[in-house]
Amino acid sequence: MIGTSQVALALLILAAVFTVARAVRPSSSTGDRAVALDMATSVIQCGLFVGAVILGDGILVDIALVLGLLGFLTSVTVARFLERADR
Amino acid sequence: MSTVVDIATAALFLIGAALAVIAGVGLHRLGDTRSRMHAATKPATLGVLCCAVGAALQSDSSALVTKLLLAMALQLVTAPVGAHMLARSITRRDEQHPPTTS
Repeated sequence: MIGTSQVALALLILAAVFTVARAVRPSSSTGDRAVALDMATSVIQCGLFVGAVILGDGILVDIALVLGLLGFLTSVTVARFLERADR
Repeated sequence: MSTVVDIATAALFLIGAALAVIAGVGLHRLGDTRSRMHAATKPATLGVLCCAVGAALQSDSSALVTKLLLAMALQLVTAPVGAHMLARSITRRDEQHPPTTS
């Protein structure tokens, strides 16, 4: 059981590396970076849920809850910014 | 009974993690910003939901399950709205300033 959770956590870390690589790639546009970082918050949220089971610590669920709200706020703010900013 | 719950948790965690990895690959392989957004928004709802249900199956306190349910509900409401706003602003921006390279 614990072994499977750790495999899932390793896969989630791999996915987080992919999303951050998309965000820092020089050929990405601002929209690409916003999409990639929006996905990064979701992947980190998944990792916090898996980590809460591995560690048996419920505080990680609170962190995931706050991170989800912050991720929504960031994507809305970046969307408003993208709409107004001139390229 | 506990083995069944453990297997269900493992399956849900692996489904969520596999969705995240596939979406991460899709972010690099798809050709357009909105196509990449199509890949990126799958783990935002289904992946988070799978991981949260898996964690809820393993927890024995009802307070933790309530928090997980709240996190799931908030994610189900906010992820599509945020993705929609991002897609709308990207589309409007592309209409105003068409990209020079395809």
